[in-house]
Amino acid sequence: MSALFKPSSNTAFRVALVAIAVVLGGGLVAGPMIYVRSPFFTQQEDPVDQPVQFDHRHHVGDEGIDCRYCHYLVEKSPFAGVPPTSVCLNCHEQIWNKSPKLAPVRESYFADRPIVWNKVNKLPHFVYFNHSIHVRQGVGCVTCHGRIDEMPQVEKAQSLYMGWCLDCHRQPEKYLRPREQVTSMTYKPKGDQLAIGRELKEQYHVDTRTSCTTCHR
Amino acid sequence: MTESALDARARLEPPRLIQGEHDDGTLNKTLNDFVWRAPPPGWFTLLLIGMAGTGVLFFAISVTLAYGIGMWGNNIPVGWAFGIINFVWWIGIGHAGTLISAILLLFQQKWRTSINRFAEAMTIFAVMQAGLFPVLHTGRPWFAYWMIPYPTVQSVWPQFKSPLMWDVFAVSTYFTTSLLFWYIGLIPDLASLRDATYSRRARRIYGIFALGWRGSARHWHHYKIAYLLLAGLATPLVLSVHTIVSWDFALSILPGWHTTIFPPYFVAGAVFSGFAMVLTLIIPARRYMGLKHVVTERHLDNMAKVMLCTGLIVAYGYVMEHFAAWYSGNLYEEHVFFSTRPRGPYAWAYFTQMFCNVVVPQIFWLRWARRNIWTLWVGAVLVNVGMWFERFNIIVTSLHQDFIPSNWAMYYPTWVDFSLLFGTICFFGTLFLLFLKYLPAVAVAEVKELNHELHGDRPYSGGPHA
Amino acid sequence: MPSLKSLPIAGQQKLWRSVDEHATPPAPARELGPSTPPDDATSRRNVLQLLGASAALATLGGCLKQPDEKILPYTKQPPEITPGNPLHYATASLIDGRATGLLVTANEGRPTKVEGNPEHPSSRGAVGHLEQAEVLRLYDPQRLKVVQNRAVARSWRDFLQAAVYQARGLRLRQGEGLRFLLEPNSSPLIGQLRQRLRDTFPRARFSTWSAVPLQHIHDGAQLAFGAAYETRLDLSQASVVLSLDSDLLAALPGTLPAMAAWAEKRDPSRGPMGRLYAVETNLTVTGMNADHRLRLKPTELQRFGLALLGRLGALVPALSPYAILTQRFALAPPAAKFADALARDLVKAGRGALVSVGPRQPPALHAAAHAINTALGSACAKLAQPVLHDMDAGPRTLRQLTEEMRSGAVDTLVITAWNPVYGAPADLNFSKALSLVPHSVYRTLHYDETADRAEWVIPSLHPLESWGDARAHDGTVTFQQPLISPLYGGATEAEVLAAFLGEGDRSAYVQLRELWQSRQPDGFAMRWEKWLGDGFIEGTATKAETPAVRHDQILAAAVQVPPSDPATPGLQVNVVPDYRIWDGRFGNVAWLQEFPDPVNKLTWGNAAQISPETARKLGVAQNDGVDLGLRGTPVHASVVIEPGHADDCVTVSMGYGRRGDGEALCRGLGFDVSALRSSEAPWFGPGLSVTRMGRKAPVAQTQEHHSMEGRLIAALTTLPKLKETSEELAEHRGPTLTAHRPHEYPGYKWGMAIDLSRCTGCSSCMVACVSENNIPVVGREQVIKSREMHWLRVDRYFVGDDLGNPGVVFQPLACVHCEFAPCEYVCPVNATVHSDEGLNEMVYNRCIGTRYCSNNCPYKVRRFNFFSYTSNYGDIEKMVFNPDVTVRARGVMEKCTYCVQRIERARIRTRLEERRIRDGELRTACQQACPAEAIVFGDLNDPSSKVRKLHREERSYDLLHELGTRPRTAYLARVMNPNPELAS
Repeated sequence: MSALFKPSSNTAFRVALVAIAVVLGGGLVAGPMIYVRSPFFTQQEDPVDQPVQFDHRHHVGDEGIDCRYCHYLVEKSPFAGVPPTSVCLNCHEQIWNKSPKLAPVRESYFADRPIVWNKVNKLPHFVYFNHSIHVRQGVGCVTCHGRIDEMPQVEKAQSLYMGWCLDCHRQPEKYLRPREQVTSMTYKPKGDQLAIGRELKEQYHVDTRTSCTTCHR
Repeated sequence: MTESALDARARLEPPRLIQGEHDDGTLNKTLNDFVWRAPPPGWFTLLLIGMAGTGVLFFAISVTLAYGIGMWGNNIPVGWAFGIINFVWWIGIGHAGTLISAILLLFQQKWRTSINRFAEAMTIFAVMQAGLFPVLHTGRPWFAYWMIPYPTVQSVWPQFKSPLMWDVFAVSTYFTTSLLFWYIGLIPDLASLRDATYSRRARRIYGIFALGWRGSARHWHHYKIAYLLLAGLATPLVLSVHTIVSWDFALSILPGWHTTIFPPYFVAGAVFSGFAMVLTLIIPARRYMGLKHVVTERHLDNMAKVMLCTGLIVAYGYVMEHFAAWYSGNLYEEHVFFSTRPRGPYAWAYFTQMFCNVVVPQIFWLRWARRNIWTLWVGAVLVNVGMWFERFNIIVTSLHQDFIPSNWAMYYPTWVDFSLLFGTICFFGTLFLLFLKYLPAVAVAEVKELNHELHGDRPYSGGPHA
Repeated sequence: MPSLKSLPIAGQQKLWRSVDEHATPPAPARELGPSTPPDDATSRRNVLQLLGASAALATLGGCLKQPDEKILPYTKQPPEITPGNPLHYATASLIDGRATGLLVTANEGRPTKVEGNPEHPSSRGAVGHLEQAEVLRLYDPQRLKVVQNRAVARSWRDFLQAAVYQARGLRLRQGEGLRFLLEPNSSPLIGQLRQRLRDTFPRARFSTWSAVPLQHIHDGAQLAFGAAYETRLDLSQASVVLSLDSDLLAALPGTLPAMAAWAEKRDPSRGPMGRLYAVETNLTVTGMNADHRLRLKPTELQRFGLALLGRLGALVPALSPYAILTQRFALAPPAAKFADALARDLVKAGRGALVSVGPRQPPALHAAAHAINTALGSACAKLAQPVLHDMDAGPRTLRQLTEEMRSGAVDTLVITAWNPVYGAPADLNFSKALSLVPHSVYRTLHYDETADRAEWVIPSLHPLESWGDARAHDGTVTFQQPLISPLYGGATEAEVLAAFLGEGDRSAYVQLRELWQSRQPDGFAMRWEKWLGDGFIEGTATKAETPAVRHDQILAAAVQVPPSDPATPGLQVNVVPDYRIWDGRFGNVAWLQEFPDPVNKLTWGNAAQISPETARKLGVAQNDGVDLGLRGTPVHASVVIEPGHADDCVTVSMGYGRRGDGEALCRGLGFDVSALRSSEAPWFGPGLSVTRMGRKAPVAQTQEHHSMEGRLIAALTTLPKLKETSEELAEHRGPTLTAHRPHEYPGYKWGMAIDLSRCTGCSSCMVACVSENNIPVVGREQVIKSREMHWLRVDRYFVGDDLGNPGVVFQPLACVHCEFAPCEYVCPVNATVHSDEGLNEMVYNRCIGTRYCSNNCPYKVRRFNFFSYTSNYGDIEKMVFNPDVTVRARGVMEKCTYCVQRIERARIRTRLEERRIRDGELRTACQQACPAEAIVFGDLNDPSSKVRKLHREERSYDLLHELGTRPRTAYLARVMNPNPELAS
């Protein structure tokens, strides 16, 4: 009776075992864990198209307009607020008031229809983030939103994962800056950030909380 | 005078473990026969029923996933019901396997040989049924993986203080070990199946799983070591798994759950129901598969004794529960054990439990009952029923009347609940039928070995051997 | 143009609606053409997402890529609106013509929460369950959306033309055949319109109808004083109160101040306790609070009152002529003993005495009460001119009208009263009569039974959409201002009436402003602004008067009353307004349908309530189906056995058995009692037959077990025993031996205290909780399966051995936030954890729904989403959600959070101001609503906080203290103040 298996089948069998291990281990465990951390999944570094090609480089960088001129709710409301059309018109009544680029803005203002912007930084609906308190406690815009002044089109700068939030909530001194520097895009700590951070933490009575209901209600 | 003495001695001798005269050939023939034989129509009928029931099971599961736990009868206060009852019941049934394979092996109980394969298979299939429920009974099964500790992007971990957490580990370990144990035991038999068949396809398949077993001394040497090691590994599991399952209840503060006697009495209960299930299955099997010569009255008799013994432990557990409730003088405990259970709306379940688990086993004090197929089988089935109701009483009856009377409410199962119970039984049966058909239901190699042990090399000479 | 400070909406209509409206051109707000609800679904959904009010994706949020979302900013942001920060506006709700001052929260133009106006005399910050449910009623998708003429969709203009044409014809005939059927009303604006209509149509006539009429009060006052007067209760001075079927402690319209005042009297630490006697048929909320309660067949009540008057005659000189009544109305021994003791107690109380009579009782009894109160010089019952234009509302006036309608004398009938076809007693057969009227106009919120028979059906504006004015229960002029532009369009009562003056195009706002300008011309703009800011005009309460009592008349009427029933064997029927849906007008409000009746914990329907004794006699059991017959066809009801109910009578509540097509929610629930009412006996009468249907008809009750099983759950004691009780309670508070490592609470340490002695069990807090926390409604079937979702429930237990007339104690119970919480350590995924301030947090988005926490919660206050209860919400319905609270997904556990969203808002606000949260600054929803101030929340670390003091009170105790859970909610034992004479 001929042999049932060729000698090589031993090797084949062992290879098969290893392959199965790899597929199960890698495919079902490691793979997803890497995937969710990839910018592709978190939609980072992925400029979002907008109905109006608003260029922060120009407004923030060149003109040096303070964030709070347009996002004026940021200090008193949970929302930083996408500015009302009227705010755009404050300037653009005078300058570029004929520019075709701004047609949608004028149209919105006079037809009293809001411009429908695409959201860039999305939080799940069970997360309650409040801008006013963060700004108050000396968390810089750039810390979460990145170098807006270098973005022709705004893109998501951070993963906005809970782990990322907790990083700061567990050790705020790593990120705190003086209140007057909050909107600065270029602020660099003079000296050791941790030392300065601890100082500011004292000064601003920052007690970051990690209790779940701080953000989930 | 001497004659009568001999007779007496003969009568005292227990029945033999292997009936009739056998050598390896005949054993191979008789024991593997069912694998080669075209399955009898009875097998097909049962398989059909089993598969139909499995269909019901999967339908019920889809309904649950699609619409939510609301399709079950659960409510507040009765947050757990059929789901967890079935889970504990199946896990319990699973225990006989490991006990027989591991502990009886270590204690060198020869009689385990003819039934261990059977019991181990049953264990694996039972644990598979049990495994369905912990995931299924959660409100959001698609997030059940959060129970597994792994570095998440939220940087949060599971709660290791929770007994449910421990369940995850206990049950998965138990399943893995039982599976390995079963498979290792199968290897020599798979090899002999491989060598016995003429169909090339069957040979290839059996061959692959036989892992190139040639029965060389070296093989046997490694095999024995591995088997013994696994036995050692499995032994603590027999005790740990159901201990941990019992902690799901014992660690809560609910009267009727919060009981220190739980771990031993759950383990005993598990073995109790496990052996009951083995008997329920093996009695018809030995008849229709012609295994009476290896699964003898002696085996049945021993299993009945184990049932009697564990049954007594369980009964003791019941007594202690009630005693503790009375002795503690705790208002809530007393209410559960002396009002809710015996006199509440679910009293019928309580008395079913007591009858099946306490009264019924007592009959096995009698030798004839242990040897009589019918009493044995009916008794075993009743014990399985009783053990299911024990879990019903622990879970539902305790929950439906707890601390604050305004919470109290009745629980009524829905058709989905019943489908899940019925469905898992059918799924279990289906798997078991397939096992009987395609694998040797008895550990042939071990039986052969035993046969040699019993009669040495010389052909069996009849008469009681010293 | 009023300034924008006082209201966001004046003039600039486009600002009325929520942000999202701007996504699409707003439909002309006042044009009621056949317009379907605005189809700006997508944009509205976006806004809700923007506001975080939708968690449809919450379950997936963690594991799938997030969907694209839009942001819709304002084009021109109104100065007073800061997106993300809610605003509060003062307005009012009307029930039977009287106003309750409200403070309504609006998020980006969406009203989301109704609270009491702290300044307003009729609410003082508290609020009842009916008013709170208005916000859900506003977003009811089943509201009538379009003007209809004989079921054909028409436009508001069409109606105006028809009305003008009609009016021209009527004017020629002096208004002959023109009739108005109005709701009881106190609005100065409506008053002026009525006057002008009278001038234009001299022959026109006005009648007033309410299914809960005040006719008897009116007649009683006529009898006693020869003029219409109403009684104003002031319990701040009360010491002995007798309630004759007067439900003054249920959170119903007008009772809120009385409840607050009485709560002070029930707190033993605040001076001498008041004592409450109740004589009634069915167990009421007031009866549950009585120190002594006498249950009588409905027809016996009047005789008891007169017998009492007789006894007082012997004790009070001013009442001596009545002494003869004692013999005339002989009482059974127990009742007699009760009356004797009561009479003496009342006399002893003097100025502090009060006899209050319910609107269902006959005039003679009202008159008798007036006699007693005046004779005893009661300071608690003040008499004043009625605030309503027309108190004489009820079957009598309706009968006159119906006869005219039958005789064909009525050619045009304008109905603004709520649903007379449904509410009118059967014998009037109003619906038949209505179909005989050639021209009829009916203004309604839903297409109901009456709409079915009217010629013109006008959608009415919801109170939160309307401009208007009305007088509060004390006469204070109160304003209604809209918080949102009409969702479907519609008309206010004023606009409908104005249509017949050819002024239909003048909006209610214009009319209202002109009226008040004409009344207060000087510095009007300023005043107007203040009024709308406050919500009412200060110091416009009607003055109390002291009219002379006509004792001879009262005595004459008293002796007319037969000394005993004409022996009618068998049962009596006893019809009562429903606690949940009043006369049925709230029938389509899901919150109220699922709101358990404070007394019998019934939801989603009414039932035949009978005493255990009567049940035994009839051989019926709980949930048995029975037929109730009283002339006419019998109605099918389910039996609910109610301890404390009088024997040989059956109580049924109004408002169910609805048939209207427009109200899918309540259609077919329960049974209609109008068949059991007649215009002679609208409330109670003999001759009821009860026959068993021989099958079960289960009711949906949220509580099925009514005994405390001898456990210390809701502590109950009496004033004399208070000392020893508090010693006993000392065992039930404070630390217990524990293996746990105690937590540290350096910052805030939140805690709650609930005073069972102040709590009347009115359950208003439950609706507050539902509204604040987006708690879903689960429906009748789920309630029967005991899957209701209320985070806060009010448990009710019967105590004592006499099942016929038991003591009652109730206990609001929500999560007590244990410091050593059993739920926390059993959760496998850390979904319920302990906060650094002692909150027991529930993290919905982490929960996988093992339900282990609920099993291990000894209080069973956790609720589970067995199904997805909110996924079927339409876009309009979603607008009711509180954006600060996650809407929970299927398969998730939830429970009371101590309104953590309010804590966090307060925390951030105070941190921006760099200070700590002050005591009383932060209130939970239940605390805010509670009319009796029984619930107190605050920081236990703050040495001056009220809650801390209460936790240290001698009456305070921890629920299930022996379990060592260390609850953060402390209960204060309920103290009764029995009369030693009757205490036995």
